Amino acid sequence: MSSLDTPERSAVAVLRAEHITKNFGGLVAVSDVSVDVPQYSIVSLIGPNGAGKTTLFNMLTGLYRPTEGRILLGERDITRGRPDVITRYGVARTFQNIRLFGAMTAVENVMIGHHTRMRAGLFGSIFRPPGVRREERETRARARELLAYVGLREPVFDQLASQLPYGDQRRVEIARALASEPRLLLLDEPTAGMNPRESQALTEFMRQLRDELKLTILLIEHDMKVVMGVSERVTVLDYGKKIAEGPPAEVRADPGVIEAYLGRQE
Amino acid sequence: MSELRAQLREWRAAVQKRLPPWWSRALAGSLIAIGIVLPFLFSSSSGFMNATIIAVTYAVMSLGLNVVVGFAGLLDLGYVAFYALGAYSLGWFGSGFFFKEHIHVLVSPIASTLQGVHLNFILILISAAIICAVAGALIGLPTLRLRGDYIAIVTLAFGEIIGVLAVNGQSVRIGSGGMTLTAGNLGISAVDAPYFPGIGSFSLLDLRPWYWLIFAILLVVLFVNLRLRDSRLGRAWVALREDEIAAVSMGIPLVRTKLLAYSIGAAFGGMSGAFFGTYYTVVNAGQFQFGFSIFILAMVIIGGLGSIWGAIIGGLTLGYINNYLIPDVLNGLPSHFGLNFQLTQVEFGIFGFLLVIMMVLRPQGLIPERRRRLELTAEIAAGDAQFMESPGTAGGAT
Amino acid sequence: MRPLAVVRRYVGRWGLIAALAALPIYYGISDLTNGYQAGLVAGHPLIHYDLAKLGFNFAEGLSNGAIWALIAIGYTLVYGIIELINFAHGDVFMIGSFTAVGLWGTLGLGLTTGALGLIGGLVITLIITMIVTGSLNVLIERVAYRPLRNAPKLAALITAVGFSFILQNVGLIWRGGSPQSVSDLIHGQQTVFTIAGVPILRSYILAFAVMVPLVITLTWFINRTRAGRAMRATAQDPEAARLMGINVNATISLTFLLGGMLAGAAGLVYALYETNIWYFQGFKAGLIAFTAAVMGGIGNVRGAVLGGLIIGVIQSLCDSRLGPQWTEAVVFGYLIAIMVLRPRGLLGEETREAG
Repeated sequence: MSSLDTPERSAVAVLRAEHITKNFGGLVAVSDVSVDVPQYSIVSLIGPNGAGKTTLFNMLTGLYRPTEGRILLGERDITRGRPDVITRYGVARTFQNIRLFGAMTAVENVMIGHHTRMRAGLFGSIFRPPGVRREERETRARARELLAYVGLREPVFDQLASQLPYGDQRRVEIARALASEPRLLLLDEPTAGMNPRESQALTEFMRQLRDELKLTILLIEHDMKVVMGVSERVTVLDYGKKIAEGPPAEVRADPGVIEAYLGRQE
Repeated sequence: MSELRAQLREWRAAVQKRLPPWWSRALAGSLIAIGIVLPFLFSSSSGFMNATIIAVTYAVMSLGLNVVVGFAGLLDLGYVAFYALGAYSLGWFGSGFFFKEHIHVLVSPIASTLQGVHLNFILILISAAIICAVAGALIGLPTLRLRGDYIAIVTLAFGEIIGVLAVNGQSVRIGSGGMTLTAGNLGISAVDAPYFPGIGSFSLLDLRPWYWLIFAILLVVLFVNLRLRDSRLGRAWVALREDEIAAVSMGIPLVRTKLLAYSIGAAFGGMSGAFFGTYYTVVNAGQFQFGFSIFILAMVIIGGLGSIWGAIIGGLTLGYINNYLIPDVLNGLPSHFGLNFQLTQVEFGIFGFLLVIMMVLRPQGLIPERRRRLELTAEIAAGDAQFMESPGTAGGAT
Repeated sequence: MRPLAVVRRYVGRWGLIAALAALPIYYGISDLTNGYQAGLVAGHPLIHYDLAKLGFNFAEGLSNGAIWALIAIGYTLVYGIIELINFAHGDVFMIGSFTAVGLWGTLGLGLTTGALGLIGGLVITLIITMIVTGSLNVLIERVAYRPLRNAPKLAALITAVGFSFILQNVGLIWRGGSPQSVSDLIHGQQTVFTIAGVPILRSYILAFAVMVPLVITLTWFINRTRAGRAMRATAQDPEAARLMGINVNATISLTFLLGGMLAGAAGLVYALYETNIWYFQGFKAGLIAFTAAVMGGIGNVRGAVLGGLIIGVIQSLCDSRLGPQWTEAVVFGYLIAIMVLRPRGLLGEETREAG
């Protein structure tokens, strides 16, 4: 599972969520969940529908504020952070239902991802001094590089995102997330809608991301093959609570987990 | 009907393939050249030139509102507030209104002997832009967390409040010695005409300098718009418009970006307001009604929401229709049909009708924004359902 | 925006109520301590130190508010069911006034008509006006909003504004650009009785006599009939309602019909009350009624009524204390404050727009 290029897996946690609870005025979506994601690891978050996984993601990225608990990115407390600030600190994500900017081309979408790393302000945008022009050129070039890296074909780079086929849209979303030069990448059901071959390719790709770009990855997944194949650790949520955590094989055999999944079929 | 549309699209694509790559630049260049030469084709005080001057000013305003509604997707129904503030900037800084003061900067020899604050028109333009930029940010501030329709209502309310202030300003004292904030419905009259050292003062007997002045302003505003559209900020605006949650998750700072949209849009409105102030030679509260906000909005929409050239076309079109076609050309039309009214009386009914027709038949406007075809689906809105703070909704949890 | 979020949390419902109550409380205390001028006696101002003026503000305000309430219900029902601000609604109200006055002419109602004839005539006017405005509202929905049901909200909103303009222009052509006085058919300024020094005018009684039964009937309809249940279901979740077999289109049309009818009733009452109609009255009334709907909690009929009454009182207080030239600014100031601090209003539930 590991290659020679795998960066030193350290015990340092890139992300640590401590006793996170989210209460929506009566409905407890997430209850006392603690997760930590070691640097350069790939951790999966699984659980039946409604278990609170996306809600947890939304808290990690600042879209929701936890009712209780603390979130640490490295040494920094980001519990009450604004989403754009958290992105600047190095957290990027994709969405369960693809959320590309339909009115922009694939390249422009990825350029948006780079927003926090660019410096052009109002006057820079109007007067375009050489520094700004260079920044634009470089951002555009980098965006094209990233699109190629995620496997998009050149001809579609300048097509409107809304007109791309589903698989390509998923790729663009990942490229867009990568454009913000994150430390931690959150992927929300990246293989949704994919066939087994595509899922396998994505699994390989995630490892490649981790190894080549020195990323840490936290993903929400339903496809057990992917989960088992790529994760070093799996955390299981059910009804908002963490019911199991550990290496994939262990979690798979956990009776509580089995019941949570099977029990739901009644 | 859709076969016809498909056919038209085919023809357009075929034509575009045959054009050389520089065709749009050449077109723009020739339009600008025509614009510069236009006044020579008409007498110096023709009704058509008057309508053109007004139409071009509307185009500038339309470009301003296009930044707010078109680029950033913030439905501002109170844009008349910036027209008012721009015009009052002129009334305050370019007339004898503040009669206790004696401030003169680069004004005509005659004006420098008068009481009041008299600044050079360019300085007034700059102050109008600054005042409106600040006002725009203040008006935008309460709307930051609101959804589309609510933004409309809040901005509308602000527009009305500014209108009330304009009317009642004559009872609001400024400083000592009897100066007031505005002159209410009586209006601040005897405002300065623009003056440039070497060219002299403008006069309404010769409309040409006025035209070139507003045309120059249009070119500047157009330039800024083009630069902004294709910049980091412009992309950020479109992202916020398309999907606020995704935009914010990609690192776009919501507050700063939205406020910039309001401010810049407002500044353009202020500049054109200042021009109107001096061109109409009076600034009175009656000029600033809600209907005007809708009028400018109609220009942006009919032109094509978000499209720069669309905004200009929309501004020119409605400007001509309103100030030339209806009053001068078609006014007698209903009488030809034996109807007992003049066309000017149904002006805003016509605009209302145009708005409805546009929305139902061609919501993307005459010149759709290159970046978007107004998608008639609620896809993104459905996606938002995922992020509602209230639980228990379809698709709302994983 | 952190300080704002903190303010918001603490403003809550009671904060809003306090802000609203501040005005009458302040003026009440001021009247009691400093007194107010209740007229002139032999050239000298007559100062009273009681709450009669405040009482008058309430009496007049609540009655005006009853009219706003009827219009506000239309806004709130429509917004609740399709999330659209029906900009044209205020102008439907204006058409209602115009229609009512037109009918008086046709029916021959005048100052000399006897009491029985007058009441009969007015009832007929009310019914016909309500039918006209109800149908107008349904027509607008059918022509302008339904085709844009799946379009972005902006498109429907613009169309609503467009229709508002068209209707205003109709009014303009119909009766000209200046306010027109109409016969004071019910002699609305006559005092019927007095409570604690506050004269209760006929027009006040009229306003409530029309509003209360209509609101009660509407509430009964929404809560007790199948069609009403369909309305509530569609407002909660149109897709689910459709799956349950509810004819969503018909339900939406029904909502517009009811809203329009109430606006028509308000139009008639307004004409009798103000004895004055104007093509522009709809725009003004529309904004006020919408403020009322938002204040009470959009989507909520009781909220709309409450909001209307409250706004009416605020207006009366402003008119008589600050001067009518500032009233609009104050009402809109309240609107903005509500939108920022508590968008769901007094009685509303947490809605989606809160970031």
